[in-house]
Amino acid sequence: MSSLKSHLTLILALTSILFSIFIFRIFSEILYKYKQTIIDNYSIVIVSTNKLTPPDINNLGELKQININSELKKLKQKYKNIDFSNIKLPYFYKLKLNTLPSPRELNNIKEELLNKPFIKKIMTKSSSQTKIYNLLMLLEIISKIFMFLTTILGFLLIIKQLEVWKLLHNERMYIMELFGAPFWFRGAALFKIAFIDALIALILTSILIIITINSFIFEKIITDLGIDFHIDILKEILLLFVISFLISFISSIIVVIGRK
Amino acid sequence: MGKLVIANNLTLTYENTPIIKSANFTINSGDFVFLTGISGSGKTTIIKSLYGELKPHSGSLRVGEFDLFNIKKSHLSLLRQHLGIVFQDFKLIPEWNILKNVMLPLLIAGINKKEAENLAIKYLNKVKLSHKADKFPAELSGGEQQRAAIARATIHNPVMILADEPISGLDEYSASLVMDLFKKANKLGITIIIASHSIPSAFDIEFRQLHIEKGKVYELS
Repeated sequence: MSSLKSHLTLILALTSILFSIFIFRIFSEILYKYKQTIIDNYSIVIVSTNKLTPPDINNLGELKQININSELKKLKQKYKNIDFSNIKLPYFYKLKLNTLPSPRELNNIKEELLNKPFIKKIMTKSSSQTKIYNLLMLLEIISKIFMFLTTILGFLLIIKQLEVWKLLHNERMYIMELFGAPFWFRGAALFKIAFIDALIALILTSILIIITINSFIFEKIITDLGIDFHIDILKEILLLFVISFLISFISSIIVVIGRK
Repeated sequence: MGKLVIANNLTLTYENTPIIKSANFTINSGDFVFLTGISGSGKTTIIKSLYGELKPHSGSLRVGEFDLFNIKKSHLSLLRQHLGIVFQDFKLIPEWNILKNVMLPLLIAGINKKEAENLAIKYLNKVKLSHKADKFPAELSGGEQQRAAIARATIHNPVMILADEPISGLDEYSASLVMDLFKKANKLGITIIIASHSIPSAFDIEFRQLHIEKGKVYELS
């Protein structure tokens, strides 16, 4: 019973760490994709007296000139008494940023651009962008806190487990040491437990991952966000496999080295 | 016969208190040595220093080719693989059965499991415990556990057996059986060093006695 309990502690700790890492990674990926979607649909309109090149706007993003011919045509038809050929019209540009800016960054960009004498006006969708940006940041912070707390909890459980292991395996390892057993021999039983527990934790986490990504809620979130999202399950499990085995083997090595 | 143990001006301390002071002694290959003295005189301290559990404070201590003052961890493992150690409290692995406990030095030496098992059965037979091969240490009496410990200490044909109070707490019959096993091992050429407060009566083979008194080691003839 106590042996089962000691297995469960490590399996539970590892599963919670692995699953929180997966959730964090998935969440980060969703946020990244969503940010990209916003960036794609988001742009700043710049009105300038001169023709602009990327260095003129400090290479802040992709610059596209807006074709105003059709608008000009409409104006010419509407105001027939005005001679448009004598009016020097400004150049209109669409600036597509490389990254989604925070409201403060956006203000800085605007100030920076308006300081240039040839830039006359900047137009942004600041109010809706601010809300979306703040919401995304909030979600990102929540996911980080979730991962941090779960990982801390997991590691606390592993530390507790190390203490249990020390008590359980100390005598056997000491006797083996008295007979000249090398490091790998003394730790063999622990390494075996670590391997089995890491494997079980990985299987459990994989089941949780499959349930999560196939759940109705998860699919609905992805559809509602309108993002092109694809998870490489094999890559994720492979990464968790490495993490799981590293944590459990490092834990068992600590016990073997730390034997007094 | 070659010198197996050489101690020169050896001082051993326990928690900064000198237990053995400037001891000089040698033990030859094939010797049967009793290390005697009253309780707390330093018998266990010398035994521990011989298998590298306790580092000499000063002087020198050599066991075979190994200088125990400056021994590396890997060399210590190597030295211990050539020793057989018997403890007063047996030090059998509680979660292993007797057969596996006896197999331990062979498994450490990398001998395959089947071969180790066959040899362990042979040695358990020698110590009259083959019928208890699958029992766990807690299921055996003190005398039986000590016989199993001796089987474990001799199975890998060590150059020297170090025994710390091996018959203390055993009944007369078990004590006599255990001493007979040591005698048989010595007849095969294994050096035996036994820490004991006294020498068993009617001990019928040639032996040496190193007596410890007030931290000094004297050879008694």
